[in-house]
Amino acid sequence: MTQTLEVREGFAQLASTGGAPASTAQTGARFGTFAITFGIAFPLLYTAFERLNWPLFTYHPVLGNLDFWRQNAGVGPPMFWYGWIALAIPTALVVALAATVISKQWLSRGTVFCCALAAFWPASLTGLRIFIVDWATFDADFLNSVWVAAIPAFVGAAVITYYVPVRWAERVWTSWLLIAPIGGLAVLGYSLLQPWFLR
Amino acid sequence: MNIILSIMREDTFWKILLFIHFLLAVGLLAGVTLQAAAVLMPARQVAGKFIDRGPVPTASYAPLIAVLYVLQALMGAWIYIKYRTYVRIPMEELRHFWTVGSFEFKEHIVAMGLGLLPAYWYFWQQPYSAEHAAVRRWVTIFLALTVWYSFIVGHVANDFRGVGS
Repeated sequence: MTQTLEVREGFAQLASTGGAPASTAQTGARFGTFAITFGIAFPLLYTAFERLNWPLFTYHPVLGNLDFWRQNAGVGPPMFWYGWIALAIPTALVVALAATVISKQWLSRGTVFCCALAAFWPASLTGLRIFIVDWATFDADFLNSVWVAAIPAFVGAAVITYYVPVRWAERVWTSWLLIAPIGGLAVLGYSLLQPWFLR
Repeated sequence: MNIILSIMREDTFWKILLFIHFLLAVGLLAGVTLQAAAVLMPARQVAGKFIDRGPVPTASYAPLIAVLYVLQALMGAWIYIKYRTYVRIPMEELRHFWTVGSFEFKEHIVAMGLGLLPAYWYFWQQPYSAEHAAVRRWVTIFLALTVWYSFIVGHVANDFRGVGS
């Protein structure tokens, strides 16, 4: 099946006008880097903003009011979904634009770091909360913070990034395009279990 | 908005929007399903240099699918206002928690699909890159799954309180 697709793609390449000018190819490659990085960054950022409940704005549908950042109070239910997307798009755009100006090696390493961080940060926060409730023999409530959880998450992500071979990171770079949204959906889906599906 | 509401009832207006959302969904569903089927069952090389061309010109569908996806997301975002106040609250009161949860997940799955659109569009630019054959296939399938999931869950929500319910 793969072979037939490759044959077809080979014909498509032959059908093109015998090689595009170097500047066009470079622009295409840059757009590719931009698009793929955006596709990886957006689901990670969207998941983080949803979990932290950081919307750029809150919409109150009953009165049609738009408030900056998170505003739970108001008439009727607040809507945050627009705000998460509105914050995730510009931040992912900034990340994707930055990706077009750095080397491929740094980009693939940076991607591994960010994806590892995205996995470690919530895991570390969950670990800390378990520690506070089940293990701590002192008042450890000050540990229940996303910023405290960030410390072991950053260290873990840095260690992983250091030990991952550059060649492997470059080879799997486009795979993050699927791992990031599926991972994000797993986290978001899990967060819906208690409030809706196991109620 | 006020001009439209002066010539028709508010309920009628939202039902028309919902119906347009449904029609666009059917178009998007058809396009994305055909393309996903084509990447799962590519054309065969039957003999020598001849290639048994697939019935679907998959690449030409990509811009249409991307545009329809964005239009659908915008349309859905608009109708979502009505859903949040007019549909979800009675849904919760009647304890249709699975329907609410599935719809919440739909919001996330649509957002993930939106994030993938630039990469999807890039991968379907000709000439195709053989290097990206696998990721192109899986991104297309992922998008098809997001559209199918959204369609089914949207249909269930519509059955609760929407056109013809």
